[in-house]
Amino acid sequence: MLGQALLGFMTVDALLAVTWATLLGIAVGALPGLTATLGVALMTTLTFKMAANDAILILICMYIGAIYGGSRSAILLNIPGTPANAATTLDGFPLARRGEAGRAMGIATTGSFLGSMIGILFLATIAPVLAEFALDFGAFEFFWLAVFGIMICGHLTALDDPIKGWISGFLGLLVAMVGQEGVHAYPRFAYGSTDLAGGIGLLPALVGAFGFSEVLIVMKERAAETVRSATDRVLPKLEDLTRYWRTIIRSGVIGTTMGILPGVGEDMGAWASYAAARRASREREKFGKGSVEGLMAAETGNNAAVPGAIIPVLTLAVPGSAPAAVLLAAMFIHGVRPGPLIMIEFPTFIFAVVAMCVLATFGILIFGLLLTRPLLYVLAVPRERLMPVIFVLCTIGSFAIASRVFDIWIMLAFGILGLVLREMRYPMAPLVLGLVLGPILDTSLRRGLVLSDGSPIPFLIRPISLVLWVTIAITVLLSFRRIRTTLAGLLPWRGSREEISKEAPKG
Amino acid sequence: MPRADFITGLVLILLGVAVVWASLDMPRFEERNANPYTAPGLVPGLLGAIILALGAILFVRAARAGGWRLAWPAARHGTGDPGVRRAALSIALCLLYAGGLVGTVPFWLATFLFITTFVILFEWPLATDRADRARRLAFAPLLAAVIAVGVTALFQYVFLVRLP
Repeated sequence: MLGQALLGFMTVDALLAVTWATLLGIAVGALPGLTATLGVALMTTLTFKMAANDAILILICMYIGAIYGGSRSAILLNIPGTPANAATTLDGFPLARRGEAGRAMGIATTGSFLGSMIGILFLATIAPVLAEFALDFGAFEFFWLAVFGIMICGHLTALDDPIKGWISGFLGLLVAMVGQEGVHAYPRFAYGSTDLAGGIGLLPALVGAFGFSEVLIVMKERAAETVRSATDRVLPKLEDLTRYWRTIIRSGVIGTTMGILPGVGEDMGAWASYAAARRASREREKFGKGSVEGLMAAETGNNAAVPGAIIPVLTLAVPGSAPAAVLLAAMFIHGVRPGPLIMIEFPTFIFAVVAMCVLATFGILIFGLLLTRPLLYVLAVPRERLMPVIFVLCTIGSFAIASRVFDIWIMLAFGILGLVLREMRYPMAPLVLGLVLGPILDTSLRRGLVLSDGSPIPFLIRPISLVLWVTIAITVLLSFRRIRTTLAGLLPWRGSREEISKEAPKG
Repeated sequence: MPRADFITGLVLILLGVAVVWASLDMPRFEERNANPYTAPGLVPGLLGAIILALGAILFVRAARAGGWRLAWPAARHGTGDPGVRRAALSIALCLLYAGGLVGTVPFWLATFLFITTFVILFEWPLATDRADRARRLAFAPLLAAVIAVGVTALFQYVFLVRLP
C-alpha cells in the first residue's frame, strides 16, 4: 500500500508541488518571525480550493521544510528560525563562528533527514496499529485523553513551573467553550453576538498566537549579529555520521515519542534528544561549544517529532504539536476525518501521508545540501521590511478562511495575548491544545456521564481510562518539588531543559 | 515574578468566579426532559472552578513570596527600554491597520499605507546620512506598492477570496 501511495505521487504536478512547497517551507523556517505553525496555517488558506491529497501534501512539505529551515538562522544568526531549533543554536552558532558554518549546515541537513525517516518508520508501523487500538476508545477514554493531553503538555512545556502550563491549558479549554455547544446548540458566552456564537476559530487563533506575536517579539529584540558566509564544505563527512549513529537513533526515537505526546512538539523533541545525547556522550565537555554530536542530536530530534506529531492526528484526532493542530484542522476542512475510524473510512490515507512525508524528507535533503549559499540571501532581508509583510499575510490569512472580519480581531487578540503570556513565562502550546481539545473534552464528559448515569465508576475502572488517569495523577505528583527530590535521591536519573541551558555557555 | 503572579492569581480567581456564576445561569432544559448531565453549563462550570483553584494557588504562592508588597521596577524602566518602545509602536501600527483600515478602505490601499508607514518609521533611525535616508524613504512606498498589489491580486484572482 505504501508503494502504491508513493507511485501515486510520482507525477510532474505532485513533484513540482513538493519542490516549491518544501523550498517555501525552508525559507519560512529560516526567517525569524515566521514559524512552522504560521507557515502551515497560511498555506491552509491558500490551498483551500485544492483537492485533499494535493493540499495535505503541500502542508506536510511546508511543515517538514520549516522545522528543518529554522536550523539555518539558528546556525548563522544564533536566532532559532522556529522554536524547534532553539537547541540547535547551542552548538550550531559556535561551529559557525569557528568558520565551520557549512559543515554545521550539512550536519543539520543530514540529521534532519535521518530523524524524519526514523519518525516516518514509526508513523508507518504504529499508526495503523494505534488506530485499531483507538477503536476501543469510548467517551470515557476520550475525556481522559483530553485531560491527559493538557496535563502532560502543560507540565513538559513549563518544567520549572508546571502550574503556569496548566493554567495556560485550562484557559485554552475555557476559550473553546465560547460558541454553540454540541448537544443543545446553546450559544455559550455569546451575549447576543452572532460572531461569538460562531465560536473562536482555531486557525485565526493560531495565526495570532504564532504569527502576530512572533512579529512583535522579533521587533522587540535587538537586531542580530550574523555569520553571513559559509565557505567551507557543506557535504557532511561520512565519519560524522558513522561515529554518532547511536546518537542519531536515540534522538530519532526520543523525538518521535515527544511528537506523539499531545501538544508537546518539535522543540521538546530537540531538547530531550540534546539532553539525552549530552548525558550519554563521551565528549560531554564539547556540548555548548560547537559539538557535532550535540547539533546532530538537536536536529534529528526535532525533525523526528514531525511524523511523531502526525501519528495522534491521524489515529486519535489529537494534535501532537501546534503545526500538527493546523494540519488536523486542514484535514477536516478537506473532508478527511482523522480519528479511530480512519482505517475504516479512509484506509489508504495513512499510507498517503507516509508517502508525503517521505517526499518532503527527500526534498529537505536535496535542497538543504544543494542550496546552502542561495538560502543565505534569504536571511539578509531586514526585519523592518519583512515583519509588516508577514503581518499583512497574517491579516488576510485569518480573514480568508471564513471571510469574517471577526477572525481578524481573534488573530489580533491572540497575538497580544501570546506576547503577554510569553513575557509572563506562560507557555503558548497548552493554550492552543486546550482550544483543540475543548470540544472533545466537553462532549465526552457529558456523554460519559449520561452513559454512566452520573456515576464516576466507569471513568475510573475501565482499563484505558485507568492508565490515563493514573498517569495524570503521577504527573501532578511529580510537579511537587518535595516528591521530586525524594525520588531523585532514589534514582540516578537527572537532566532537564533548564539544567542544560543553565550549564551551556551563552552565545 | 511574584508581583506579576500576585496580580495574575487575583485575575484568575475573579475569572473563575465569573465563569462559574455564568455557568450556573445557563439553562438546564428541564422543560425538554433533557438529561441533567447534558447541561451546557456543566463543563464551563467545572473549568471555571479549576481555574479558580489554580489562580488561588498562584495567588497564595505569590503572596507568600512577598508579591503584595514588592515595588514594580519594570514599570519604571518599561517606557525607556527601546525594545518595549519598538513593540508598542508595532502593536499600535498593526492594530490601526488590521483593526481600523482593513474593512473601511480598500484592502490594497490599507496595505500600501501600512507597509509604507511601518518601514519608514522603523528605518528612519537606522539611516546613516541624508542620501541613505532618501533611499530608504523612496524604497518604502515601492515595496508597499508591490506587496499591496501582489497580495491583493493573489488572493482575489488566484485564491478567489472576496477581500474585506
